[in-house]
Amino acid sequence: MVGQGAQGLSLDPPARTLTNEQRGGSLLMASTLLAPATCVVVLGLLVPILILLRYSFNKFDPRLMMLEAVTLENYVKFFTDPFYTNVFWTTLRVALLCTLVCLVLAFPLAYVLARSESRHKNVLLMLVVLPLFVGNAVRAAGWMTLFGSKGALNVSLLELGMINAPLQIMFTERAVVIGVIAVNLPYMVLTLQSVIEGIPRQIEEAAFSLGAGPWTMSRRVLWPLALPGIMAGSILCFILAMNAYATPVLLGGPQFKMMGPLVFGQFRLNNWPFGAAVAFVLMTATLVLTGAANLLVHQRYGRRA
Amino acid sequence: MTTTRSLSRRRVLKGAATLTCLGLADLPFEAAAQSKGKVVVGTWGGDYARLLNKNIEQPILVAEGWEVIQDQAGDPERRSKMLAERRLPRGTTDVQGLSALNMFQMHDAGVIDAIDYSRLKNAPNLLPSMQYPYGVGHIYSGKVGIYNPKLVEPAPRSYKDIFDPKRGDKLGIIDIQYQYTLVCAALAAGGKVDELEAGKKLLLECKKAGARIYPTNEAFAQGLKTEEFGTGVMWKARVVQWQNAGISVEAIVPAEGALAYVSGFVIPKNAPNKSGAYAYLDAMLDKRAQEAFAIDMGYNPTVTNAVVAPDVNKRIGFTPEEVKALVDLDYGYMTRNDVALKEWWDKELKG
Repeated sequence: MVGQGAQGLSLDPPARTLTNEQRGGSLLMASTLLAPATCVVVLGLLVPILILLRYSFNKFDPRLMMLEAVTLENYVKFFTDPFYTNVFWTTLRVALLCTLVCLVLAFPLAYVLARSESRHKNVLLMLVVLPLFVGNAVRAAGWMTLFGSKGALNVSLLELGMINAPLQIMFTERAVVIGVIAVNLPYMVLTLQSVIEGIPRQIEEAAFSLGAGPWTMSRRVLWPLALPGIMAGSILCFILAMNAYATPVLLGGPQFKMMGPLVFGQFRLNNWPFGAAVAFVLMTATLVLTGAANLLVHQRYGRRA
Repeated sequence: MTTTRSLSRRRVLKGAATLTCLGLADLPFEAAAQSKGKVVVGTWGGDYARLLNKNIEQPILVAEGWEVIQDQAGDPERRSKMLAERRLPRGTTDVQGLSALNMFQMHDAGVIDAIDYSRLKNAPNLLPSMQYPYGVGHIYSGKVGIYNPKLVEPAPRSYKDIFDPKRGDKLGIIDIQYQYTLVCAALAAGGKVDELEAGKKLLLECKKAGARIYPTNEAFAQGLKTEEFGTGVMWKARVVQWQNAGISVEAIVPAEGALAYVSGFVIPKNAPNKSGAYAYLDAMLDKRAQEAFAIDMGYNPTVTNAVVAPDVNKRIGFTPEEVKALVDLDYGYMTRNDVALKEWWDKELKG
């Protein structure tokens, strides 16, 4: 097998047309190389997802945990109960808002980083990545000490006489949005920076020399060219925000609900069928929305880009 | 020249082979030293696991020649595992540490053995109330009323005083303690452990009056420390830990009788090493281990021969009358209604 595979990668000058044997060899080689990753994905991701899908059609029993069945009642329960649909809409709202804010905040920073010719560029990049060295939960704990009613922020504002009573930031949607943005921002900056770096500076200069102002250049040249990066960064941010767990739990408090903590909560109650159904709703919604956004952008800008 | 100065490949291989042989040869000796076999114990992580190791496993079981392995996880995960393993002839754990409610649930699901108390030499010392047919109580505490004397005046004397909507703005509630909080509120409202409707109504009134809900015990402690609220309910053992941490908090045993919390151990039906499991249960009831847990963790011993120093007992213990008045959850009711209660909690109280 390996011998045949190696044949496909021989150092002989490439023939103009591959013989059937050679084609078979390189196919075998390719599949040999792909097999380990495929196995990991199939065994580690697809199989558990299929098992979870099966569970979501089961019935919950408080005594025995789960009864084999084929029923849609878990999904019906989710979509007919305003409590759960509200959790879904809250999650979507937070995820979209965080993605948008991340994009707005990250773009200028990424642009400066990409165009920077400073010899300290690597240090600047490291500074962007630095927050990722700390786990989400630890970072949220840091925010907690800052936002608490006797936290650094409130105490400072009170001492300065700028407020009379402590601001209620902890355990609100605002705290979660701030926390999620802080977590996701580096991903967006890094993705945009690498794409902007690939856009030649000369193209921008050409636009300027043809009379475009900075705004027109950004809108008609930079934006469409950076769009693949914008899409990739936004999708990454959106997925991370939709599935956020530590930040909503720690900063949102018990009364704030997002889908990630809801899934975990159901599993803690041993209600696996409903937990699996909620997980599937979350996964499907994330997939459909990112797919739709991708399609929309391709249709809108595909020809021009 | 290089061959003489550096290790040759052959020599490295020979060395590695020799080491492997020595390693293999060493194994039987190691196994022989642990002739009594292996006990796998399912437990929560953190302090409890550390103290099991310090007070039960190392001084008693390991000293007797047992090898003890802890399988640490939260109780929902471990209960799921027990249920998932129920069809296997050999499970993966010998004993599992669970709350009394969870012990009942596992018994109800038919996955744990009845306890043969004749196999426990420490059984005669065990409090009768801690001898469950399907599990052995290890430690217990009670849900006491707590208050910060600086903020709450006069001191509460009952669950009714604590869950009083008139001072609802002084009340703190812990999200993850929804089961016990609901039952405490039910007792406060004159209900019973299986009649929680009045308690639900009372909680909603308190919430309307400004009661605050905290996600975890730790967040609750933080709120208590920063005086965001001044009263609530908590395990007496935990109050001791908070007092030690310098938080201004006092505990009262409520007039309705404190809700009991018992943590114990069960033996899965398919435990691979039953005699090891019984050895573990026996060691856990040992006088020394029980006394050490009272000091280290603030929970009460479940055996009568454990001696707790008077100053420790004053802080963690209950008088004989208070012990008699301890109220137990209705395990069957809680099991059947757990999901519905949690949904009410999430949707109505927190919503």
